Amino acid sequence: MTQFAGISIDKIGRGAAEVPTESVQGNSMSAAPAGVPQQETAAAAAVSVKRVSKVFGDVHAVREASFDLPKGRFLTILGPSGSGKTTLLRMIAGFDAPTAGDIYIGGQPVKAVPPHKRAIGMVFQKLALFPHMTAAENVAFPLKMRRHDARTIPQKVERYLELVRLGGYGKRRINELSGGQQQRVAIARALVFEPDLLLLDEPLAALDRKLREEMQLEFRRIQKELGVTTINVTHDQREALVVSDEIVVMDGGEIQQMAQPVHTYRTPANAFVANFIGVTNFLEGPVVETSDEAIVLSVGGMRVNGAAGGTARVPSQGELAAGALRAEQIRIAPTVQGFSGLGNVVNGEVRDAIFEGERIVYEVGVPELGGAVLRVFDHDAESHQQFGPGDSVALGWNAKDMYIFKK
Amino acid sequence: MRPSRAAYPMRWRVMDSLERIAGLLWPRSFSAGLPYLMLLPALLLVGVLVWGLVEIGDSSLRTLDTSTFLMSENYTLANYQRALNERFFTTVAGRSLMGSLIVTVITLVFAFPYSYLMVRTPSSALRKFLLVALFLPFFIGQVVRAYGWLIILGNQGMVNEALGLVGVSPIRLLYNYPAVLFGLVQYMLPFAVLMLAPAMTAIPAELESAASSLGANWISTFRHIVLPLSKPGLVGAGLVVFTLSLTDFAIPAILGGGSQDFIANAIYDQFFRTSDQGMGATLSLLLVAVGSILVGLVFMVFGAGTLAMGGDRK
Repeated sequence: MTQFAGISIDKIGRGAAEVPTESVQGNSMSAAPAGVPQQETAAAAAVSVKRVSKVFGDVHAVREASFDLPKGRFLTILGPSGSGKTTLLRMIAGFDAPTAGDIYIGGQPVKAVPPHKRAIGMVFQKLALFPHMTAAENVAFPLKMRRHDARTIPQKVERYLELVRLGGYGKRRINELSGGQQQRVAIARALVFEPDLLLLDEPLAALDRKLREEMQLEFRRIQKELGVTTINVTHDQREALVVSDEIVVMDGGEIQQMAQPVHTYRTPANAFVANFIGVTNFLEGPVVETSDEAIVLSVGGMRVNGAAGGTARVPSQGELAAGALRAEQIRIAPTVQGFSGLGNVVNGEVRDAIFEGERIVYEVGVPELGGAVLRVFDHDAESHQQFGPGDSVALGWNAKDMYIFKK
Repeated sequence: MRPSRAAYPMRWRVMDSLERIAGLLWPRSFSAGLPYLMLLPALLLVGVLVWGLVEIGDSSLRTLDTSTFLMSENYTLANYQRALNERFFTTVAGRSLMGSLIVTVITLVFAFPYSYLMVRTPSSALRKFLLVALFLPFFIGQVVRAYGWLIILGNQGMVNEALGLVGVSPIRLLYNYPAVLFGLVQYMLPFAVLMLAPAMTAIPAELESAASSLGANWISTFRHIVLPLSKPGLVGAGLVVFTLSLTDFAIPAILGGGSQDFIANAIYDQFFRTSDQGMGATLSLLLVAVGSILVGLVFMVFGAGTLAMGGDRK
């Protein structure tokens, strides 16, 4: 799914980026639907970001960002490049000072604390390992700088190298290690002094896909093993879903949503989040009918049933709105037979069929919806008939799977 | 099959015909020899230098007959004995070596923060200013700059006049050892910065952020990260400054006023004042030898630094 994010969604969604996004500030975990286990919210926040802004010249890199992260949780700040996610992380690390707002680590304000006095371990984008030192010397560096007892240092170094499965590699120089091994040294170095907080600044971005996925699980394992509070920054939605306890989605310097991965995916707070995570079709049109649960849009003259999405105001009748529909929520069949239970059924013509191994991706033009092209995933390709370009097909989806956002 | 006009545009046709002509003039089988052919001018130049060195070696083995002012016919090592034993020559040599060493150390100490600031400053205006300030002295020759110091530091110079205003009688600021070293440092600084800056550019700024997040204050970051990683630049800059200082002529001549001669001044005197070609040649060869041995030693101990052009292993 990763490689699909952002590709030609605009073509399908007809400029989803134009959909104004409603910023969700504060601790929007409370915005998650009822019944979600909310353990640990009572515990003191390990990191607390309060209305933090950062202005570079006349660019608002971060605007009024706020969130609380309980101790021991793994948070991912997810956003496209330029969304302000790295700036926010650098402010938490202490490399940049916020223009406005406060950051608390372990309950203490850190405004006046320089980076080297904050107990924060950080893994950098380019790892920033010291090339003139061995792996063990790199890991020992923070211990020496923090004046740990010199006699215990070699033991600790070895223990953390073993934690990242590099036992016995200590004497290697950095350039004698592979990319994945360097990655592990960087993690060991950031963790060896037992920091209160671990920051990850897209350290996996440069790795190839296989290694990246392996390291994602590795991060998760180590984080769970040590229970260290972690903030990870990435533009990779798959990574965010895989590793995190919480996801903060950022765009244009503002926090769009903070929720657990499942809720970020299933109940996006606004059109931006819906578009950024997963492959989403957007159908636009005026609202013709609203009730408690259902909203009906008129798309190309056809009535389309959906549900109110996000925490933003429900669009009222006559307003222009956009319906977000995940590609995997659409069912595809030769005829409408068997679609009886679905709230929306349309006929279309296959424009393109892309075989991706575990699934087939169809692009289906639907004249009834004003010529909109929908992207449809078919995961169970074997039992189905496979369609080719030009085939007539029927599409159907549940009304509750289509979220209507204010346009 | 003849390609159609559209598939074979004019530009390709011109290039193809040019290549065909080039192929006739210089067949592909010759191309293996091309690099060597290009080396030829350099070899010629070095050859002339080697020939000159041999000539100098020849005259260094002949002594001057003071009655006829002709060089002796037979070879003798008398010149070398004089150079190593006579007080005057050992003093000059010691002064030059010691002076170059002091100049090298002071220049590196000054050049380091300058290049660091130039490489790391976020302000492009400041970076440009530092670069221009660095290159400006290159437009003014060494001799002109030395005369400039005469004007500033002379007995009736600006410094002494300023001191006179506060009632201090003129101090002799010129024609002594510190004046020569001062002039040399001022002259060498741009070279050192130019050698250091690339080495510092090669240190990612992220390493310093990393060090600070790992608990190092700026002194520790400097000592454990910046300094060791600048070593190639320091070695390269040090070698350049040392060899240029050791062989410098104008600064010791002008700011030393004849009382603070370096080896190059002594050589000049032998060739053009006493007309003792043999002795001049001997001193020249000894200077080349001492310089080469010292550079060789530094290469062996520290590696070639930035002078290795990326070919060093350390």
